[in-house]
Amino acid sequence: MKNLNEISTRLEIAKKNIKKNQIKDKDTNAASLGKALKISTELVASVVVGSTIGFLLDNWFDTKPMLTICFFFMGVAAGILNVFRSAKKMHNKLNK
Amino acid sequence: MALNPMHQFEVYRLGPEINLGPANLSFTNASLFMAISAATILFFLFFGTKKKSLVPSKIQLVTEMTYSFIAKMINDTAGSAARPFFPFIFTLFMFVLFCNMVGMLPYSFTVTSHIIVTFALAAIVFIGVTIIGFIKHGIKYLELFVPKGVPFVLLPLIVVIEIISYLSRPVSLSVRLFANMMAGHTMLKVFGGFVISLGLLGGWLPLSFSVALTGLEILVAFLQAYVFAILTCIYLNDALNLHH
Repeated sequence: MKNLNEISTRLEIAKKNIKKNQIKDKDTNAASLGKALKISTELVASVVVGSTIGFLLDNWFDTKPMLTICFFFMGVAAGILNVFRSAKKMHNKLNK
Repeated sequence: MALNPMHQFEVYRLGPEINLGPANLSFTNASLFMAISAATILFFLFFGTKKKSLVPSKIQLVTEMTYSFIAKMINDTAGSAARPFFPFIFTLFMFVLFCNMVGMLPYSFTVTSHIIVTFALAAIVFIGVTIIGFIKHGIKYLELFVPKGVPFVLLPLIVVIEIISYLSRPVSLSVRLFANMMAGHTMLKVFGGFVISLGLLGGWLPLSFSVALTGLEILVAFLQAYVFAILTCIYLNDALNLHH
């Protein structure tokens, strides 16, 4: 019985600690760093994918530079769209 | 050779060469370290769940914490509809985490610093999520590429942009993990090389940098596994609940 009492007091202390921590780590450093890494690659990846699609289509239709240029800009637009969406998601989460 | 910072990423064959048609299936050091990571995970989870006591031992506590951590993450980002995919996301997270962490040990090889590994993982996620979306919504899943309230004239342009943005998911997912791991390990090796070339007199400064960078790299190793898993959850959420 003594053992169980000890456990219950320990549990209470632990619960209190959890409550304290929950207020603190809403926006920890690690989470922000993760978001930063996430957004930075999103912009680049879309540009790369767009340009690659343009290049492949160019080879296919034999229209050398035209489609690559078009799809490069579309890739940039898609990248900005991606970043914008992530930022919006973060904003919505903060306002909750 | 010892000072070459890129030497650590070399893949070489261990044992005999195995060719299956055009595919080279030889056992390499990359396969060895993947096997080591998988074995470590199995070991860890096996001993963590062996003795299920009410007051958990340390290893049981850590195992239960990883479980509840992933379960909470899935619940928060993808909702309860994504709960059947828990085993997949848990496996993915643990595999990436342990590959990253095993790579932090001296003389080991970082599997996730090769883009083919990370791209294969991202491609599995991407193809899987697309299939799930089509199973769940049928042809209506293509509505993902047509945002609401767009004027009819702009529609062709927007659809192409949306498709590029969708296709860029596996690229950004894989490049992020690969680039972070490779850059970090190269940097560690460069500073390690400075310690040797500057010797006993000037080597202390790069050595302290090396120690600090090791700490940072362990943080990045965890963070990248976390980001990989959470983005899988977000993509899954898009496929399960069709709206932006």
